[in-house]
Amino acid sequence: MSILLEAKQVSKFFGGVKAVNQVDMQIEKGEIFGIIGPNGAGKTTFFNVISGLYTPTSGDIWFKGEKITGLIPEQVAKMGMARTFQNIRLFVNMSVADNIKIGFHTRTKTNFADAFVHSRRYKDDEKFATQKSLELLEEVGLSEYSQYQAGKLAYGTQRKVEIVRALALNPEILLLDEPAAGMNPAETESLMCFVKELNQSGYTVAVIEHDMKFIMNLCDRIMVLDHGTKIAEGLPEEIKDDQNVIEAYFGSKAVI
Amino acid sequence: MKKTKEATLANGQSRTDKIIGFITAHKIWFIILAIAAAILLPVIVTSSYYRAIFIKTLIYALLASSLNAINGYSGQFNIGHAGFYCIGAYTYAIIATRWGVNFFVMLPVAGIAAGLAGYIISLPTLRLKGMYLAMVTMGAGEVIRLIAISWRSVTKGNNGISAIPAPSIFGYKLSSLLNYYYIILVLLIIMLFLTYRVINSRIGRAWMSIREDQNASAFLGVEIKRYKSNNFVYGAFWAGIAGCFAAAFFQYIQPELFNFTRSTEILSMVILGGQGTLVGPLLGAFTVSFLTEVLRFSDQFRLIIYAILIILMMWFRPQGLVGAKHSVLAKRLEIKKHKTPAEKKVTR
Amino acid sequence: MYIVEQLINGLCQGGIYALIAIGFTLVFGITGLVTFCYGEIVMMGAYGSYFVFQWVGLNVPLAMLGAFLFSAFIGFFVYKICYERFLAVPHQISLLCTIGMSTLLTNLAQLVFGLETKSMPMLMAGMNIQIGEIRITYLQILIIGVVVLLCLFLSWFLNKTRIGAALRSVKQDRVATELLGIDSSRVMMIGNCIGSALGGIAGILYCISYMSISPTLGTSVGRIGFSAAVLGGLVNIPWAAAGGVIIGILENLSIIWIPASFRSGIAYVFLIIVLIFLPQGIASRKKRTKL
Repeated sequence: MSILLEAKQVSKFFGGVKAVNQVDMQIEKGEIFGIIGPNGAGKTTFFNVISGLYTPTSGDIWFKGEKITGLIPEQVAKMGMARTFQNIRLFVNMSVADNIKIGFHTRTKTNFADAFVHSRRYKDDEKFATQKSLELLEEVGLSEYSQYQAGKLAYGTQRKVEIVRALALNPEILLLDEPAAGMNPAETESLMCFVKELNQSGYTVAVIEHDMKFIMNLCDRIMVLDHGTKIAEGLPEEIKDDQNVIEAYFGSKAVI
Repeated sequence: MKKTKEATLANGQSRTDKIIGFITAHKIWFIILAIAAAILLPVIVTSSYYRAIFIKTLIYALLASSLNAINGYSGQFNIGHAGFYCIGAYTYAIIATRWGVNFFVMLPVAGIAAGLAGYIISLPTLRLKGMYLAMVTMGAGEVIRLIAISWRSVTKGNNGISAIPAPSIFGYKLSSLLNYYYIILVLLIIMLFLTYRVINSRIGRAWMSIREDQNASAFLGVEIKRYKSNNFVYGAFWAGIAGCFAAAFFQYIQPELFNFTRSTEILSMVILGGQGTLVGPLLGAFTVSFLTEVLRFSDQFRLIIYAILIILMMWFRPQGLVGAKHSVLAKRLEIKKHKTPAEKKVTR
Repeated sequence: MYIVEQLINGLCQGGIYALIAIGFTLVFGITGLVTFCYGEIVMMGAYGSYFVFQWVGLNVPLAMLGAFLFSAFIGFFVYKICYERFLAVPHQISLLCTIGMSTLLTNLAQLVFGLETKSMPMLMAGMNIQIGEIRITYLQILIIGVVVLLCLFLSWFLNKTRIGAALRSVKQDRVATELLGIDSSRVMMIGNCIGSALGGIAGILYCISYMSISPTLGTSVGRIGFSAAVLGGLVNIPWAAAGGVIIGILENLSIIWIPASFRSGIAYVFLIIVLIFLPQGIASRKKRTKL
C-alpha cells in the first residue's frame, strides 16, 4: 500500500484557460490506474505536467517519495517514469532494435573517450544495450520485427514497440496516453492483455483512455476529469454508475 | 549501416539500392581500396597544380564532414561553419607567427579553440530550432569574421596574416606538396575513423534520436541540451583542425576567406553529397571541388550552380546523393509521422 | 544638435528597416513560409526601381511601382520553386531551398546587373525644412510618409478584406480554411507576394537614402529584417516595426561609440539579446506544445 506517484492540488493554466484545476491523485505501487474524461478534459495536459513537460501553475508532484515538481522530462525519465504518447512517437525511420537501444541511454555511461578507443566500458554498454533490447523484444514476442523499419509496422505493433521502448528505461511506472487510440477491436484486445501482463510483471501503470471496455476491464481504480477538474474517483463499478460522470459524458438529461 | 527490412515485403528494390547494398556488405574492401587510391594518387599525378587541388579538396572534405557531424547527425541547423574554420586558422596563424609553436602541437589547440567557440555559440541556441538557429549560427559566423577584421592588433585586420610557418617535425620542415597531402589525408582518415566510432555508440544514438524526434528522445532520458551542445563542439573542433592545417598550407590568411559564402559552399557540399552518412560529405566535397575547378572562370556562375544544385536536391533527394535515406532528413511523404490535422481530435 | 539629427536619421533608417521587418513578418509569421531570401527580394525590388530611373527618368512614383511589381514577381518565382511543392513537408526543406535561392538571386544579380555598386539618383537635393536648430530633409519626410502609408494599407488589408482574413486563418488551420472553400495555396502565394512587394518598396527607399545600390545589399538587409522581426516573435507586425526602428536608431547613434566596421554587427547583437531574453518575442502567448 505504498504510494508511488502523487499529485497534490496540481493546476495548469494557459492564460485564462484552466486546463488542469487543483487535481489530487495518488497512484499506488503495482496498480493500474485509469484516467478518463470527455474530450478536452485536460487528461493529456495532466500527464504532461506530471512527466515534466510543463511546470504546474501551482501544486506539487511526488514520485517515489521525492518532490519532482519542476524537473524536466529527462530527469523524470531517469528517475523511473516512462510514458507513451497519443500519436505514436517512435523513431519511424530507425529500426525497431535501434529504437529500443535508445531507451537504454540512461542505463549506459559511454563517453567520447570510451567511444574513441572502444574501451571496456564501451564494449560492455554495447553488449548490454543490444542484448537487453533483444531480450525485451523476445519477452513480448516481437523479436521477429527487430530489424524492421519502425514506421512500416502495423499500427498495433507500433504501439507495442513504443511501450517496449519505454520499458528499456526500467521504469517503475508507465504513463500510457490513449494507447488504444486508432485501433480496431482485435488490436485493442491484444493491447489490453499486453498491459495486463506488464502489470503482472511488476510495472505500475497509469493509463488515459476513451475506450470504456479497455478501462473498465483493466483498471484497478479510475479517476474522472472534466474541464480540468476531478469529478469522480473510485473503483470501476462505482465510476460506471456515478451521476457526475454520466452527466459529464452525456449531459444532465441522460438516463442510463 | 544495418540493412532494414521493409515490413511490407516489397519486391521492388531499385537498382541503386542493390548497388548500395552490395557496397555496404563489402564495406571493408571498398574502404581499403579508397585509402589505397588516396595514398597512390599524388604519386601517380605529379603535377603541382593538381596536387594542390587534391589538398584543397581534402581540406573541404574535412570541413564538410565536420559540418555533417552537426547538421547530419543531430539535425541542428548550422550555416555559419566557416566561423569555426576561421578560429582554427587564426589560432595557428597568430600563435605560430608570434611564438613559433610547432604545427603538430597547435593542431589540437586550434581544435579546442574552435570547440570552445562551438560551445559558446551553442548556449543561446539550445532552445532554438529551424530558422532561428540558422540565423544565429549565421550571425555567429559573421561576428567571428568581424572580430577578425576589427581586432587589428592581434589579427592584423583585413591585411591578414602572412608568412605562416609550414609544419615541421623535429626541425625537419614538411613543406612539399606531397608532405601537405599526406598530412591532411591522415587528419581526414583519423576524423572519419573517430566519428564512425562515436556514431556507433551511445553518443551517436543520442544525437540521432534528437534529430529524429527531440521530444520523444527527452522522455527517454536523453539530456537534450547536453548532447546538442557536445555535438556542436565536436563539429567545431574538427573544423578548427581543418583551419589550422589550411593556415599552414596557404601560409597566408585573411578574414574574407571565412565569409558567409564559404559557409554556403561547405553547406552545399553536405547537402549535395549527403547528410547523415560518413560518405556523403566526402562525395559532396569532391563534386563541389570538381565544379570549382571547371567553373573557375566565374565566381558568380559557380555559386549559381551550387545554388541550383541545392534547390534540385531539395526537390528530388533532400537527404543528398548518398545521405541517410532512413532519416527525417529525407522528406517522408508516404509515412505520416503524425496524424493529419483533420485526424487530430478537436479539443473544446 | 548632432545627436538629434542622428536620431532623426535613425528614425528614418529605422522606418525602412521597419518596412522590411513587416514584409518579412508577413511572409514568415503570418503566411507561415520560412524564408532566408527575403533580403534578396528587397534587393531585386531596388534594382527594379533603378532600371525605371534609367529608362524613364526621375519618376519616383513609377519607380516605386516598378519596385513593387518586380519584387512581387520575384516573390512569386520564389513561391513556385521553394514553397508550393513543400507545403506538406518538414519546414527545413523549404528553408534550405530558400538558402539556395538567396545565393542564386545574389549571384544572378551580380552577373546580370554587374558587381559594382551603382549610384541611385539623388532626390530632392538640398530641400529641407528647418525647425529651430534641426534640419529635416524632404527625402526623410518622403520615406517616413511612404512607410506609414504602407503600414496603414497593410493593416486595412489584413483586417478589413476577405483575402486578409483568409490569410490569417490559413496559418492557424489550413485544413479548416480549405474546408471553407478557400484555396490555401493561392492565399499563401498572395500573402507571400504582397510581403515581397513591400520589401521591394523598402528596397527603393533604402537605396535612395544611401544613393547607391549593389547586388550584395540583400545579405545585410535580410539580416536586419529578421533581427527586427524577432522582437515581435516573428508573428507580430507592430513589434517587428518597433524592432526595425530600434535597430535603425541604434545603428545611427552607435557611430559615436563603435568603430564603423562593426556597425553591421549591431543587428546580430540585437538578435542574440532578444533571443536570449525573449525567445518568443514580446507579445507572445505561450503556445501549447501539442504532444
